[in-house]
Amino acid sequence: MTSYRLDAGGAINRAQALSFSFDGRNYKGLQGDTLASALLANDQMLMGRSFKYHRPRGPVTAGSSEPNALLTIGSGARSEPNARATTVELYQGLVAASQNRWPSLKHDIGAVNSLLSPFLGAGFYYKTFMWPAAFWEKLYEPLIRKAAGLGKLALEADPDRYEKAWAHCDLLVIGAGPAGLMAALVAGRAGLRVILADEGFRPGGSLLSESVSVAGLAAVDYAGGLVSELSSLPNVTLMPRTTVFGWYDDMVFGAVERVQKHVASPSPELPVERLWRIVAKRAILASGAEERPLVFGGNDKPGVMTATAARTYLNRYGVAVGGKVAVFTNGGSGYRTAADLAAKGVEVTAVIDARAQSADVAPAGIRVIRNAGVVATNGRHRIDGLLLERAGFEEVIGCDALAMSGGWSPIVHLMCQRGTKPVWSEESQAFLAPNVGNSFVAAGSAAGVETISECLRDGAAKAASLASELGFAAHGANLPDVEGEYDASFAPVWYVPGAKDKAFVDFQNDVAVSDLGAAQREGFRHIEHTKRYTTVGMATDQGKLGNVNTAGIVAAMRGVSPAEIGTTTFRPFYTPVSFGALAGAAQGEHGAPVRTSPLHGWAKKNGASFVEAGLWYRSAWFARDGEKNWRESVDREVLSVRANAGLCDVSTLGKIEIFGAGAAEFLDRIYCNGFLKLPVGKARYGLMLREDGIVFDDGTTSRLGEHHYVMTTTTAYATDVMTHMEFCAQTFWPELDVRFVSVSDQWAQMSLAGPKARIIMSRVVQDDLSDAAFPFLAARAVTLRGGLKARLFRISFSGELAYELAVPAGYGEAVADAIMEAGRDEGICAYGVEALNVLRIEKGFITHNELDGRTTADDVGLGRMMAMQKPDFIGKRLSTRFGLTAADRLQLVGLKPVEPEKQINAGAHLLKEAAKPSLANDQGFVSSACYSPALGSFIALAMLKSGRERVGERIVVWDALRGMEVPADVCAPVFVDAENAKLHV
Amino acid sequence: MASLITCPHCGTRPKEEFTIRGDAAPRRPGSADRDEAWYAYVYIRDNPKGRILEYWHHAGGCRRWLVVDRDNLTHEVFGVVDAADFQRTEAAE
Amino acid sequence: MTLHFLHRHVLEDHLAGFETRPNPNHVNVARRPVILSVLAHSGHEAAVAERLAELAGGSVRFCGPGEWLVAGPALLGEELADRLGEIPGASVCDQSDGKVLMAIGGPSARKILAKCVAADLHGDVFAEGQSANMLCCHVASNLARTGADLFEIIVPRSFAGSVFEELMEMGREYALTASFSED
Repeated sequence: MTSYRLDAGGAINRAQALSFSFDGRNYKGLQGDTLASALLANDQMLMGRSFKYHRPRGPVTAGSSEPNALLTIGSGARSEPNARATTVELYQGLVAASQNRWPSLKHDIGAVNSLLSPFLGAGFYYKTFMWPAAFWEKLYEPLIRKAAGLGKLALEADPDRYEKAWAHCDLLVIGAGPAGLMAALVAGRAGLRVILADEGFRPGGSLLSESVSVAGLAAVDYAGGLVSELSSLPNVTLMPRTTVFGWYDDMVFGAVERVQKHVASPSPELPVERLWRIVAKRAILASGAEERPLVFGGNDKPGVMTATAARTYLNRYGVAVGGKVAVFTNGGSGYRTAADLAAKGVEVTAVIDARAQSADVAPAGIRVIRNAGVVATNGRHRIDGLLLERAGFEEVIGCDALAMSGGWSPIVHLMCQRGTKPVWSEESQAFLAPNVGNSFVAAGSAAGVETISECLRDGAAKAASLASELGFAAHGANLPDVEGEYDASFAPVWYVPGAKDKAFVDFQNDVAVSDLGAAQREGFRHIEHTKRYTTVGMATDQGKLGNVNTAGIVAAMRGVSPAEIGTTTFRPFYTPVSFGALAGAAQGEHGAPVRTSPLHGWAKKNGASFVEAGLWYRSAWFARDGEKNWRESVDREVLSVRANAGLCDVSTLGKIEIFGAGAAEFLDRIYCNGFLKLPVGKARYGLMLREDGIVFDDGTTSRLGEHHYVMTTTTAYATDVMTHMEFCAQTFWPELDVRFVSVSDQWAQMSLAGPKARIIMSRVVQDDLSDAAFPFLAARAVTLRGGLKARLFRISFSGELAYELAVPAGYGEAVADAIMEAGRDEGICAYGVEALNVLRIEKGFITHNELDGRTTADDVGLGRMMAMQKPDFIGKRLSTRFGLTAADRLQLVGLKPVEPEKQINAGAHLLKEAAKPSLANDQGFVSSACYSPALGSFIALAMLKSGRERVGERIVVWDALRGMEVPADVCAPVFVDAENAKLHV
Repeated sequence: MASLITCPHCGTRPKEEFTIRGDAAPRRPGSADRDEAWYAYVYIRDNPKGRILEYWHHAGGCRRWLVVDRDNLTHEVFGVVDAADFQRTEAAE
Repeated sequence: MTLHFLHRHVLEDHLAGFETRPNPNHVNVARRPVILSVLAHSGHEAAVAERLAELAGGSVRFCGPGEWLVAGPALLGEELADRLGEIPGASVCDQSDGKVLMAIGGPSARKILAKCVAADLHGDVFAEGQSANMLCCHVASNLARTGADLFEIIVPRSFAGSVFEELMEMGREYALTASFSED
């Protein structure tokens, strides 16, 4: 193995060697290396295989636009596919593996695709795998997916932590190159709250890789000075390893910080990645410019890379990309690379200039070949020569690396993510950032500025101008002298004619010039169509290197300006963002907030099984020893309530405290039934409609004082009812004197139901609870024995004598314990929502199973509740329209199976006897069903066409899902104590 | 990632704190108004692209209903007022 | 028969087993605070606000137009409620058991809260004495700044466990500890 590490130079720590492995083999790199630079130092140019043709590939860049050197980093659950070796920070113990090859990177069977490539051009899949249609999903697509591809995801759960956070600033500077550093400094000194984010692990940008001197210092040292001053400013936040990936509404930027992606074993106290939402008053895009590859035959082979990449490996990492380097250029960057290489003692075999003339001069002794083009490269896993053509003559030039430069494209993605397209500049021969207003401006080479001195000046000027807009006095920075700059201008060369091998535009997706031609010939001419037909720009790099060349080549093919072709749509994310970062901490038990009732502890110790109801955990049933399934527990609980007493947690009901002289009027308008005459000390069942006349929610409201009420809502609609009331109070009737606030969490509420409820409740409450003193629907403040203040409501959802007791939440568990103790000798039990459901079905009480957003009050048998004499209430006007009063509407009925043990399930449909199941024959559906232990039969509530007229009719309950048909008799929707004798005792 | 609304009571907040109810222009008809007025109020909504007055509820904050004047294409916000104030101003006009 | 009922804090189980010696970044969970909702009736908003500004013994938290939470130590319980009840045009309603009050303080308090709330908590924007309702750990809460590095969060009781756990998770980076405070 040859070492390509130079003896001196580079922003690397030569005292700190780091061991790492690649495809199972151990290597050494240095602190400050990227994985790519460390591999190159170890003569490992081959790093990947291309997506479609499995062509051998090496890095073509030294940064985040890299399309080729995609590796899987880490192992097991921590393995991360498709990481760009050119940005991965090297660390001790890093494990990397190549992708999309078998059996090995050097010998890849899939490379046979390359031989077949004449048949595999753009549109090949669409044309070839059309027939028979069924084969696409079963055969062709899986095969294609297997053959073409990227890295594989780990299937194990991600063991690491992720977080999301918000940041706020006056100025966000994106990119810490010369323009960004200077902008941050000027703004920071002026006192702005500044965030400077950079995707790299070391701020400096091109100052780290260009051989210029700034203010008499090496550029890298000058950058270090800027960074240390910035670090000392308390109003400046430096965020290295942070990619700003998106620009969203209202100057919110999305960014991902790689907190621990550069360590072998992440600390569990820290996230590995943190997603930032950065709210900025102003922002400067200082993301630099991308060097464009040249499009020529064999331009994808390992060893061919951009001139900037070659220079970066040389100057920043102290790595020569080859022993004999050739340069192919259309501008000054190629000459600069040749000069830098020569200065470090690396042999430069030739500078091939596509232009006939230029002012650029190569160092003495280097051959310059003008007006020439490379048409092929030789070698497989690293090039060993190139074939050039000049004036019709061919020549082979030996080289083991080729630095190419095709001009510059400012990196303007973020500014184009909200629908504004970049603008073609004939002068710059590039797409420039659009004008998106004064809040977000580009600076430095992102703005088309070329030299480092101009970038520094531009950054300072843009920051000063934004600062003064925000009312800060910015003192311009004293701009340093820069020595040794070069002229980076170029003459456009979109592609090099006479290619003897495939000339790639998009490396990662293997899109060649010939594919773009096919797209034009076959009518996919719009750039968005060209993209989709050829897949150009669709890979993980999203065409960072290829998109501008694509526009230029298509323009040239069509004989128009690239301005007419334009670009495809820019969308977030700038570079890929992990799902972990997007999810943040919202995983596992933090997936959603959990709501627990104040009686949760009581339920737990009484053996409850819980059911999720929205965010709530509600007790479903309370299993006792010996009970083999939930039904046994529920049956016992139901029978116990009917015979003795049971205690149920109803704390999850919505509770709203309402105050004001206009409260009665307000309630009268939001409920369909009357509330003006509700006496103090009484509760009333209330039904709310939506404005379209359909039932919205139900519950009870109690009048606690002249201008003081407390409302309960269903658990599910607690928030919706509150929101609805706020809308009515604030937008319909702001003149009404009514104020209300949610007290859902203040009260632990429990329902004690059963014939022995009064005896038991009297042992806990000191007030007189006789029927005379505390009759049905009484509602008032009471005092518990011992002095605790509580609220007691005599309401029932089971048909039994029942009380709902509300106590301050912190006392809930203790009071529930006391009630259980007081009722022990009376046979009390705890019951859950399953038994509650059986008890209410037996009584025909409705829930949102029946109130499903389609039913009217009349449908569920509550039509007479509507107080039509009221001048207005929500839903009044449309409740009487045709359609909501039609005779064949579905109406609430009861169902009893002819054979009691035959189960009926909610959701089953109803048919006339002997009728065939069809939409036309559909008679309705089962809304709620259960086993009634009191009746020893399954029972159900159902919505049946003209149901109330059909009591006594035999129908069929048709449950296609479970393949069941159960004959049943229609009955009134009440199965137990139709006279309500048990309620009024 | 986010859109921001500046609540006149609470300050600038992300859209996660709000729920949107849609067009704030339709007025609830009087109980004596014609059926057509009621059908239009309950069911008929334009779906304009561009500047629109919308009801936003600051559910995660002050729980007030707000009227947000914004461009629904660019999310440029021109103004946010409390719905009760909006109502009073309209009534006064 | 006289019954004695034990009052139980919803975070009792969450705090059991925590190291009680506080680190520089620490959450104090108020064991028995008095928390009251104050609602100003139409036309009385300014007058009620004025009276609240002069209130002794309780901290006033702004929730929305004409709506506040007033928090104070348990000792003041009834007294505070009575004092508020005397304000003309105000309705008062006990929320002491419906809300949980957590005070988070320490040099990294703001950094921890940046992971919990979206609002800008810079001192120039959210100054000492300011308070507002906002989402904290996905839950509608009230946040107040009570010192340079000190904030108080009031959350609904049923969500308190969730918010507390997430707050502690976000504080791991800064060795956040938690305990009950008795006042």
